[in-house]
Amino acid sequence: MEKEAIIRFERVTKIYDGQVVLDDISFDIERGKFYTLLGPSGCGKTTILRLIAGFTEPTEGTIYFHGKPVNHIPANKRQVNTVFQDYALFPHLNVFENVAFGLRIKKKKQAEIREKVMEALRFVNLEGYENRSVQEMSGGQRQRVAIARAIVNEPEVLLLDEPLSALDLKLRTEMQYELRELQRRLGITFIFVTHDQEEALAMSDQIFVLNKGKIQQSGTPKEIYDEPVNRFVADFIGESNILRGVMLKDYLVEFAGKRFMCVDKGFRPNEPVDVVIRPEDLQITTRAQGKLQVRVDSQLFRGVHYELCCYDEDGNEWLVHSTKKAEVGEEIGLYFDPEAIHVMRISEEDGEKIDEN
Amino acid sequence: MRSNHKWGKVYLAVVFVILYMPIVYLIYYSFNSGGTMHDFEGVTLDWYKEVLHDTRLWIIVLNTITIALLSSAISTILGVMGALAIYYVKSWRMKQILLMLNNVLIVSPDVIIGASFLILFTMIGIQLGFTSVLLSHIAFSVPIVVLMVLPKLQEMSSTLIDAARDLGANQWDVLTKVVLPYITPGIFAGFFMALTYSLDDFAVTFFVTGNGFSTLSVEIYSRARQGISLSINALSALLFLLTIALVIGYYFISQKSAVSGMGGRRR
Repeated sequence: MEKEAIIRFERVTKIYDGQVVLDDISFDIERGKFYTLLGPSGCGKTTILRLIAGFTEPTEGTIYFHGKPVNHIPANKRQVNTVFQDYALFPHLNVFENVAFGLRIKKKKQAEIREKVMEALRFVNLEGYENRSVQEMSGGQRQRVAIARAIVNEPEVLLLDEPLSALDLKLRTEMQYELRELQRRLGITFIFVTHDQEEALAMSDQIFVLNKGKIQQSGTPKEIYDEPVNRFVADFIGESNILRGVMLKDYLVEFAGKRFMCVDKGFRPNEPVDVVIRPEDLQITTRAQGKLQVRVDSQLFRGVHYELCCYDEDGNEWLVHSTKKAEVGEEIGLYFDPEAIHVMRISEEDGEKIDEN
Repeated sequence: MRSNHKWGKVYLAVVFVILYMPIVYLIYYSFNSGGTMHDFEGVTLDWYKEVLHDTRLWIIVLNTITIALLSSAISTILGVMGALAIYYVKSWRMKQILLMLNNVLIVSPDVIIGASFLILFTMIGIQLGFTSVLLSHIAFSVPIVVLMVLPKLQEMSSTLIDAARDLGANQWDVLTKVVLPYITPGIFAGFFMALTYSLDDFAVTFFVTGNGFSTLSVEIYSRARQGISLSINALSALLFLLTIALVIGYYFISQKSAVSGMGGRRR
């Protein structure tokens, strides 16, 4: 089913001072979804946001908005609004005037401005704060003002540039729920930039994982978590055990000196691969019953589970999340299902196999 | 430790006494009925009366204030434009060069500025008088305003401009609705600075005043040279009061903007 794309990047490259920040990127953004651009700092995620907002132009390639190229359309003529990382509230204006800024620029009538601003403030639970100075607001409140200031203009796409990074942990979790809820109620497209994989997994419909100016993988949070396409994604999203292995034939893979049944196919015979097993998919059992035999090196209690760091005879490190306790120094067996093994092609840092949905 | 503290206070007091002594001395003798500055004979307000009835003096006061207000207003506009220009210059090198050229004008001796203006004005045939004084005052005030405004611009987060553009503002809106309101405290500081510099400038003005036009500082100088009259003391006392008033006024303005969270920088 082909949905209408609001924004389309077609082979977009961005070069700053001779440095390639975005390298030949193409993707579609659909209406009404929550997208997350996820990656380490310097991966180009903020540049994508600035390109969509219109603060900068692509060096090569074309950006389409509703099918029309918008490369040279300045930021003030685009139907997108941004929530900035430092909120960028105007210090000389109070809360009401900050939110009203965009409407005043558009020369709306006073009554309409008042109504819309109040509605936007209600949306972000800031009723009664309209006469406050933004200086007296807490971080979380400023965040809400920034969101209200953006959504009052009824953008088709809301861009959020790491908006939660300045908040403390508890507030950040709260705001994750609120943002997701807000997106559902407004029904507009959110494009959220973050380096925090938990945020990305919790909120998104669709995640783009970026590294070194390329999209490594795009997909739903579950796809990204369960089926990472390469070592980078597997390593960046959650904790993983990643090993080199050889795909002997379909459904049979060799790693850690042993052969295992798996559910992956479609590789060349004897193709070298990366193998991922998530720590929570490993179960502690006796040495005899385990598929792998390891020695517990250290153990941490993490609340919901114990985190064990183990080594096998070849010196490979195995991270295990288990509700069962083990003893440090104990020899144990690790059991896992064939489905727990995820086999990935080895890629030279590039994300072939970009979007297959 | 404690006695160190005490000596520090004494030292401070001595320094202030030495600094303020001449002014106090001057003001004290402005009430002297004796007519000299060594024998205090009795208290009188005659010298103040003389000052108040001196119409020539009042015209000069008016000139001085007109020049000060006009030159500081014009140089504030030019200085803000200059600061914006320096702020928007992309190349770091160019920025430093412009800034350096600006600062050289501030530190270079007034005498040299005055003399060079005199040469310039006579060369291009501008009559010495109101215009020449005004132009030279504008010239030495602009760099001061630039220096006062630029830090405010630099402390402004660049995302503020992005945010305004994002909300639909064009270049003009960005300037008038975001940048100028943000740097207003700096603009006020620059204006007041230019005002005080213009009011009490002697050296530059001395070079470029012609016949029939004079400002207060030049007039006081020439009267002092003609012989001691205590009306000069009275005049100086009045000026001192005015300066104090200006300083207090500026203090309150900067306090107010500091409270509203915009003027953070206290001087």
